[in-house]
Amino acid sequence: MTGFIILATFVGIVIVAFASVVQKRLADSVVFLMGVGLGNVVLFFLFKAPDVALTEAVIGAGIGTFIFLIALKHLGEQA
Amino acid sequence: MNIKRDIPTATLSGFALSAVLVLTLITILLQYLPLSQQRVGDALLVLNEKEGVANVVTTVVVYFRGFDTLGEIAVLFIASLGVGLMLQPNTECRLKAESNFMLQTASTLLFPLILLFGIYVMVYGHLSPGGGFQGGVIIASGVLLLLISHKNFEVPHTVIVAFETVAGVSYVLIGFMGLLLLDTFLGNFIPHDIANMGMLLSGGVIPLIYIIVGIKVGSEMSGIVQNLMQRSDDV
Amino acid sequence: MFEFLNQPEVIKTIVTLGAMSLFFVGLFGLLTRKHIVKVFISIAIMESAIFLLFIGLSFNREKVAPIIDATQTQVATMNDPIPQAMILTAIVIGMAVLALGVSFAIEYYKLTGKTEIDTMNEMRF
Repeated sequence: MTGFIILATFVGIVIVAFASVVQKRLADSVVFLMGVGLGNVVLFFLFKAPDVALTEAVIGAGIGTFIFLIALKHLGEQA
Repeated sequence: MNIKRDIPTATLSGFALSAVLVLTLITILLQYLPLSQQRVGDALLVLNEKEGVANVVTTVVVYFRGFDTLGEIAVLFIASLGVGLMLQPNTECRLKAESNFMLQTASTLLFPLILLFGIYVMVYGHLSPGGGFQGGVIIASGVLLLLISHKNFEVPHTVIVAFETVAGVSYVLIGFMGLLLLDTFLGNFIPHDIANMGMLLSGGVIPLIYIIVGIKVGSEMSGIVQNLMQRSDDV
Repeated sequence: MFEFLNQPEVIKTIVTLGAMSLFFVGLFGLLTRKHIVKVFISIAIMESAIFLLFIGLSFNREKVAPIIDATQTQVATMNDPIPQAMILTAIVIGMAVLALGVSFAIEYYKLTGKTEIDTMNEMRF
């Protein structure tokens, strides 16, 4: 079952990353990037690396999103 | 967006062709992957039984590659310094509107818990998943919560400078004390009993260094967040 | 039903192909998007592909996480700690450097009012 979950999560991450790249509104793009980070957390946990999973969870959910949203606040919304 | 209109067909087909080529090459290479290969960390895993703590990743980050970690927090310091130098801060209030009453109360209530969790992750980094890097970023997230909910909240600049200076200097001092006492930089000079590995005070110098790394990462990340938040809207 | 996916070769193939596809998605965004924030997002995606490749190739399904406790005392049955230690620091450093890039972009926008990367031609002859 581990292999199937890994495969499914990878497919999801690639789809979400492509959606994040081709999205027209930048705020949607940032939210999809958070989805990539969430999938990364699941994969790191499955790969028996709990330290890295904790780091990615903290960084991806908190600081990373904040940095991109601050950039959007200054640079404007539209791509 | 319209993919067909925005991107030329030649670009798309070039991308697809190169992706297919690389994927085919890697699939062919993976057919000959040796299964019982010698791993990089085997020697360090064995060495961890003689001198180390329960979390092997912590031992590798702080003890076996401690000098490397010193360089990495130096990179982090330079990034924080660059953010502070680039952005023009504004000492007046940045947020135009006062945030919600419930948000203010809840964030005041939650901040000590977040701080406590960050300190827990930092202090128990040698026994359970976690450590200085994660704990520092958790503390910075708590500071971020207060920054976006309170209009006039600000971590004083001198506090950030003091924490960061003390942490950086004590990292180097501990390294030189190991060099003085045991002839290795960052040597484990505090007596540590390997028999009770898994207790809180069993790691010697390793938890101490990870707490120092946590303080440094926390103050640097708080500085980055605060500088980004305080960028003035005019100019 | 999906037991054949649990073999080590198949897992390594999934990890490599998935990380390569993620890297190519990021590269696609980096080369075709114009807005500077989109470029940073693409760089973040490429970074996460590299992290997944490092951790995934050192992963063995029969072995446990590299933490010694009361039930796991044998180091021979543990995963490789070196890639995890490298990636652990690389994630934090990557985000800090991304913040530096974002602050450059903000200051550049305040000076010139440009966000599209093909109009940033002050240094071009």
